[in-house]
Amino acid sequence: MAYLEMRGITKLYPASGVLANSAVDLSVEENEIHAVIGENGAGKSTLMKLLYGLEHPDAGEVHLRGEKVVIKDPLAANRLGIGMVHQHFKLVSDFTVAENVVLGSEPRKRGLFVDRRKAAKDVGEVIEEHGFSIDAKRRVKNLTVGQMQQVEIVKMLYRNAELLILDEPTSVLTEQEIERLFGTLRNLIGRGKTIILITHKLEEVMQMSDRVTVMRGGKVVALRNTSDVDKRELSRLMVGKDILLQVNRTPKTFGDPVLEMKGVSIRCRGQERPLLDEIDLQVRSGELVGIAGVGGNGLAEIEDVIGGLRPATAGHIYLHGDDVTSFDAQHLREAGLAYVPADRLNRGASLPTTVRENCIATKHHDFLRAGVLQRRGIREFTRRLIEHFSIDAGESMPAGNLSGGNIQKMILARELSAESDFILFSEPTWGLDIASSQFVYEKMLELRDRGAGVLLISSNLDEILGLADTILVMYRGRVVGRLENNEALTKEIIGEYMLGLRDDSRTPSEAIPSEVRRG
Amino acid sequence: MARRQLTNLLSSTTGLVLTIGIAFAIVILLILLLSKEPGTAIYYFFVGPFTKAYYFGNMLNQSIGLMFTGLGIAVAFKSSTFNLGGEGQAYSGALVATAICLALPNLPGIVGGAAAILGAILIGAFLAGLSGFFNMRWGTDQLISSFLISAAVILVVNFLVTGPLDDPKNSMLTTASIAEQYRFLKIFLPSKLDVSIFFAVAAAIGTYFFMQRTHWGYEMRMCGINRNFSRYAGINVAKYLVVPMAISGGFHGLAGAVSVMGTHYRCLKGVTTGLGWNGIAVALIAKNNPIAVIPAALFFAYLDAGAKAAMLHADVTFELAKIAQAVIFFLVTAQALYGFFKSRKKVAA
Repeated sequence: MAYLEMRGITKLYPASGVLANSAVDLSVEENEIHAVIGENGAGKSTLMKLLYGLEHPDAGEVHLRGEKVVIKDPLAANRLGIGMVHQHFKLVSDFTVAENVVLGSEPRKRGLFVDRRKAAKDVGEVIEEHGFSIDAKRRVKNLTVGQMQQVEIVKMLYRNAELLILDEPTSVLTEQEIERLFGTLRNLIGRGKTIILITHKLEEVMQMSDRVTVMRGGKVVALRNTSDVDKRELSRLMVGKDILLQVNRTPKTFGDPVLEMKGVSIRCRGQERPLLDEIDLQVRSGELVGIAGVGGNGLAEIEDVIGGLRPATAGHIYLHGDDVTSFDAQHLREAGLAYVPADRLNRGASLPTTVRENCIATKHHDFLRAGVLQRRGIREFTRRLIEHFSIDAGESMPAGNLSGGNIQKMILARELSAESDFILFSEPTWGLDIASSQFVYEKMLELRDRGAGVLLISSNLDEILGLADTILVMYRGRVVGRLENNEALTKEIIGEYMLGLRDDSRTPSEAIPSEVRRG
Repeated sequence: MARRQLTNLLSSTTGLVLTIGIAFAIVILLILLLSKEPGTAIYYFFVGPFTKAYYFGNMLNQSIGLMFTGLGIAVAFKSSTFNLGGEGQAYSGALVATAICLALPNLPGIVGGAAAILGAILIGAFLAGLSGFFNMRWGTDQLISSFLISAAVILVVNFLVTGPLDDPKNSMLTTASIAEQYRFLKIFLPSKLDVSIFFAVAAAIGTYFFMQRTHWGYEMRMCGINRNFSRYAGINVAKYLVVPMAISGGFHGLAGAVSVMGTHYRCLKGVTTGLGWNGIAVALIAKNNPIAVIPAALFFAYLDAGAKAAMLHADVTFELAKIAQAVIFFLVTAQALYGFFKSRKKVAA
């Protein structure tokens, strides 16, 4: 009998219609490091949320030490000895380490007051026992990212967790911090704990885990002993077979560059690893450039920088040859930026407002006469967009009443109406059905054929391979591959770049780190 | 499910009517318990304001200031900016208007009056805009900074009214009276109702048009609903942390000026007390709709007039009248606040 058994776990998100987990089985042995790997949207995080009580499964059972358990909420999970370290830390930055650790289960004195001294002492003991390098009395805001993660682990140990779930624990860490984390994990295994490691970094799987479960599209596609597989096989299992898109991309010659990035970086305080590391990029007119990568490797940051929502800390960005590095979204819009964001429900649309008001958001200046919005012009404009993009909506409807596909069509309609010759798409088909995705693809190719420069940021390899003329692959904030899209290029090759197995930006000896196996 | 339905009901207009009904029932119960002549008391509490032209006119007069401050709060809240400094802004508006009128005793009414009103609007806009600016520049919380600035300003105005600007010929704590030509025309004698009620109604309609149809209004509303989206769409989000606050403060300053030039003719100590806080309640009941501010302000004024009439004509004590009023305000604002915090949560998320 395995330590933890999840059987037939199924979870449907009704709002988006996404089947995040479909009859998933997961079996974890006591005292092992079990890796769960898969691309974005493969269902790893959902599975862990279900295990930690943050979500509830529609079907399926969880057995812990042979007993069936129902995990109502994270507190119930804690009581069962399950602890989770989230990718994004949940810490109060003005509290000390000790206060953060005990938060929610504070030691009391006289039944009413928080016993700070006991808290600091208990937490200090946990820290010492496991050899962490943090001071229980320091405020969390003064810690480095690696130390904050240690606080999260201590928090779980303080609550006597026996099974630790780590969700993408290395995504924000430097190499040295990663080494340190791995040391901690080995130490925990030595003390009889069990660890589930969620990741999409194959290197870590090979280095750390005993067994590995591979997920794709909400299903488990493989369970292997780590010693029986190699990275190439895992990569193939993760990305799956090529699915050809129904698109017709005609070869073209490209014009002048419309967007250029030179050495663009983002560095954050307290974080040694830059979020973007010297990005060079060029989109020429008539060219569709695809940026591929797994989430957390800099795709979102590229989107924010080009969209003017986050300043670059170094480097230069040129739009139509003009230096727009310091422009905010407002000035970029004036300079002719069109941009379909990945977060279409919060950033790309304002759901409580009408379709009409959503459609004019970027160009309401055009409908002004003496400072007053001309209703007739707005109505005509909106009707035209609804018609041309066959949006299933009324102009006075709140945008929130539209389906996901129609919201995306509305955003597309608005952004394309600017007739800009550079347009940025970020994850444009995420969560959309096939018909809507097809519509988006056709529009993108139409723009390209009309001579616009198109930049497509996507973690969906099929669409990158189907649409892009040039493909850039991001890994840990760097461009590790610059590839011409031709017959010789396959999903496997891109997949290997995405997962850090290939790296053209470094010398070959650096590219494939020596494999350190756990003894 | 049942809970969600209940929630929807509570935040809808039917919910508001229901709440007012419950509040009235509690008031009737209170009077029945505490009054020896409950029939008369209840009659004057609810019907009193309509029994005499004098009461009725005064009730309308009282609603004027509430309309202006209610509009000010509605504009701020609709843009997701938060002005809790209405008291200080209205009070300083009253003082500045008085000071300008006193400093220019011989100008034609329309010129000096316009200068006084403009000055009052500017001081209110400045005080509230300051909170917006701090928020834009350093991220300070508008709720707190506007409240604290106002609390300090009230003390400064108190000092000026009772010190340097005090009228020695008058035993009350007040400035001297403003000249005849600056006093608004009475339109419903013998009551205090003056012509500025038309300005208030026009201001409500104008604000509605401004918010719904103009460039600034559109951008302010979009920022109020979703700042993420507005920023992405190229709207100057930082600017709209300051502009709605300044407009809000301007309305409060105007309310102060109107209360001096329409009703009191001088800046008494605490002349505008209550206008700021009650404006928030008015805006909440109106759900930040500028047109709905008109009936909401009238409703507030009606309750106040009813309490006064019941005190005059029945054995309702000042305390009982205030408690009855408080019960109604409490329930009505709680009901309106409920919907407000629900929508604010969405903006924050």
